[in-house]
Amino acid sequence: MPATEYQGSFLGRISIRRNQIVSMDGNHEQEIEDLEIFQKHVADRFSDLLSASDATADASVDPLLSIAWLRKLLDVFLCCEAEFKALVFMGRDPSHIARPPLDRLIPELLERVVKALDVCNAVTHGVESVRHWHKLAEIAVTALEQRPIGEGQVRRAKKALSSLVASMTVEDKESSNSKATERAWSFGRRGSKDRVAGQFRSLSWTVSKSWSAAKQIQSMLGNIAAPRGAESTGLALPVFVMSIVLSFVTWTLVAAIPCQERSGLPTHFPIPRQLSWAQSIIGLQDRIGEDWKKKEKKGSAGLLEEMQKMEKLGQSLIEFADSFHFPAEPERVEEVAAQVTELAETCRKMEEGLGPLQQQIREVFHRMVRSRGEMLDILDQAGKVSSPIM
Amino acid sequence: MEPPESITLDAAEKIILRWDSTASEETTDRMIFDGDRREVDQYLQAVDEIQRSMSAATISDGDRKGNSTIQIAMARLEDEFRSILISNTSPLETDSLIDSSFSTHSSSINVHSGEFEEYPEDERVLRQVGESPKAGESSSRASASYRSTNSIRELDLIPAEAIDNLRCIAERMISAGYHHECVQVYGSVRKSAVDSSFRRLGVENLSIGDIQRLEWDVLEVKIRRWIRAAKVCVRILFASEKKLCEQIFKGLDTATDNACFIETVKGPAIQLFKFAEAISISRRTPEKLFKMLDLHDALLDLLPDIDAVFESESSESIRIQAAEILSRLAEAARGILSEFENAVLSEPSKVPVPGGTIHPLTRYVMNYINLISDYKQTLNELIVSKPSTGSRYSGDQTMPDMDFAEFEGRTPLALHLIWIIVILQFNVEGKSKCYRDNSLAHLFIMNNLHYIVQKAKGSQELREIIGDDYLKKLTWKYQQAATSYQRTTWVRVLYCLRDEGLHVSGSFSSGVSKSALRERFKAFNAMFEEVHRTQAMWHVPDSQLREELRISITEKLLPAYRSFLGRFRSHIESGRHPENYIKYSAEDLETAVLDFFEGYPVSQHLRRRSQ
Repeated sequence: MPATEYQGSFLGRISIRRNQIVSMDGNHEQEIEDLEIFQKHVADRFSDLLSASDATADASVDPLLSIAWLRKLLDVFLCCEAEFKALVFMGRDPSHIARPPLDRLIPELLERVVKALDVCNAVTHGVESVRHWHKLAEIAVTALEQRPIGEGQVRRAKKALSSLVASMTVEDKESSNSKATERAWSFGRRGSKDRVAGQFRSLSWTVSKSWSAAKQIQSMLGNIAAPRGAESTGLALPVFVMSIVLSFVTWTLVAAIPCQERSGLPTHFPIPRQLSWAQSIIGLQDRIGEDWKKKEKKGSAGLLEEMQKMEKLGQSLIEFADSFHFPAEPERVEEVAAQVTELAETCRKMEEGLGPLQQQIREVFHRMVRSRGEMLDILDQAGKVSSPIM
Repeated sequence: MEPPESITLDAAEKIILRWDSTASEETTDRMIFDGDRREVDQYLQAVDEIQRSMSAATISDGDRKGNSTIQIAMARLEDEFRSILISNTSPLETDSLIDSSFSTHSSSINVHSGEFEEYPEDERVLRQVGESPKAGESSSRASASYRSTNSIRELDLIPAEAIDNLRCIAERMISAGYHHECVQVYGSVRKSAVDSSFRRLGVENLSIGDIQRLEWDVLEVKIRRWIRAAKVCVRILFASEKKLCEQIFKGLDTATDNACFIETVKGPAIQLFKFAEAISISRRTPEKLFKMLDLHDALLDLLPDIDAVFESESSESIRIQAAEILSRLAEAARGILSEFENAVLSEPSKVPVPGGTIHPLTRYVMNYINLISDYKQTLNELIVSKPSTGSRYSGDQTMPDMDFAEFEGRTPLALHLIWIIVILQFNVEGKSKCYRDNSLAHLFIMNNLHYIVQKAKGSQELREIIGDDYLKKLTWKYQQAATSYQRTTWVRVLYCLRDEGLHVSGSFSSGVSKSALRERFKAFNAMFEEVHRTQAMWHVPDSQLREELRISITEKLLPAYRSFLGRFRSHIESGRHPENYIKYSAEDLETAVLDFFEGYPVSQHLRRRSQ
């Protein structure tokens, strides 16, 4: 696809200019067909995602917001993005892009892209927190897998899991209560050392204190409006579709993975509910939004399925630890063993999946950077005012 | 130091239980490692004994106890570990680490004046950091020594004795299978310390959105600061942390070593690179070129050290990111240059510069490529393709063209710079057509091409790059323009002073038509006054060129006038009101020419010849 090859070189620009393209009128029908195909593809991909997350007995299904599902989501995004670029930019005279309404809509989209880039960075860093919890869970798994289960292991597991659960629930908040996030002292400390302990946070954010993921999302959604009337059959439509897709994917990442300041995350998307291509997206958004509302009250670290599992199992195992006496009754042991196995499985998924997830987010980041660069070049070429040299 | 005698399992257990953190307040009031060395050794020995017995034991009731005991011991050791780390951890004195004398390029281009400005770096002394007094090699606190952050310099962050203790603990935790806990506690303490030092270096936490919105001159300052901070971070801060991990975990477990290091520095490293990345993806406009190149060069310089410090597999993503940013910066530089060429070509202003003087575009472009030639070392590496030039590719005769065959063997950068001058010339010629007065158009071209040549000659690098041949061509061109100017203006003026048409044919007397002569004088005076009034307002900024042009004018004008006067004044003076016709002496004219090209209006009254 030549569109992705443009390096912003002079020669590249010449070839765009020299591409005397199909006028809108001549191939109007082809264009309408292309638009429809694009929408259908978007609809299909998200419908697959929706059905992939349906809770059935099928073990190969990826639960909603699990690591595997998120990776699929990111793949879907990349596909949609590539198709979008081909549809709107490839083989077109740049002056088409400079005409209303695209002259306003494309820069708006690019603004959203910049916000999405920041969210990618925040989320990538958030995955580090998840790794941290994963390691704590691993400690517990190692301890509780030993047979026979002894007091020592149980205490060890409890210590790790308490730390895990505690830090998950205070994650979002600006920790003045930072002692909870710090790997717990086994005992309370008096005196000056307490103050020192308070300084230490096990998780430091790499964004400025005023940055808020929720605000970024709000801002992205802020000026999206479905094209109306004559605009709805032109290129304004794919731009709208892409904006929705971009916002949805970004929003989902924020909902799933801990990153700074998510309170106030919007749970409603400005998509007219009757749009056919958007049905699956709306469906997913409803489900995730519901989950988010439930969790937000309890102060959750994020909806990542594996994390939810860890929290649940963690709490259950802590209860077990609290009531543990050696030797444990066999039924209890069996019960616990099942939970430990599940926890181990979750850990395994994290072990295998977190790295690739981070890489994929990075890939999305790169793709957005590249596309943004290309779009900026095209806009410049089309005679938009690039910064004047005088 | 004598090892204590070996102890029994029972005794060992008692010791461990005595120091159970969760058991009683008493034991938590103080740390074992703060106290008596004997107690420390005793405790460690106890731990060893428990571990030994566990590995020897078969499954039995005794094992259950050992199991529990080892956990108590590990929990205690974890707290001790944390305590030792905390009490020996303090942020680096980062102020004294920053050396600002390394930068060679500190110029930026002022978009409005077209001139570039140099920012002097303040020279600061790099003092030795407050290292542990035991480290004999780093002696002089008192003497100021100049040392730049040009290479890795590992500091001893924790005194040797503390490191020994930490090792003792780590060894036991790892062999008991508690390395996870060890990493956790290490990470949480050291991470905060690194964060704190990091913040003191002033690395800002801006989002990509923030950076896109900031003005470039604000960003330039930040870039400069970032370069300084990055050198300290990579070469001193991170390198020292790595050394610390090695010191503590050497020979124990490489995985733990790496895990601790990554845990500690990954966050700050990512945050550090985030800034550079955001700069590398910002919108490409010409004035950004030079600071981007500075950033590129700094990162290139740092890359080997980044690779060294982050050599482990788990830090691969950091190495990759640094390389990605570097390549983006290179791409951005190339893009900006392209962008610039395009902008010069299509710079559209059609408002003629008053007085035909040097166009701001000319100034800007020449200063810009002057700066580029300063950066030629880097740019020669980055720019590898030839400029894609006009009409041959586009078939468009309204585009400039350049024959590369003339410039065989030149670097791509040289070709680009020459191409830029070609485009500039083309643009200047286009702009000259906006002048209604052809003379002024020629003057304009003369001024601008002359400026180009002067600027090019003024810089050693630029001159070398462009080559004297091409400069000769340009020189010829502006000289041509000067000639054209003169022809356009003065031919018709001097036409008034011609011989033909003045002599009346026929009669035997020396017939000179007095009326024709009077007309001639009147015409000459009017024309000259017109030219004088107009061209005084024209401007030739270069004083030497101005002089030369005036001299050239007078060389043609004065002899012609003198000769005319000489031959025909008597005829006028013999008639009425000669002063209406012979208004000026040759000297008057000469003086008047001095007004030319000054750029100021003059009064209409020229000195009349005194009668």
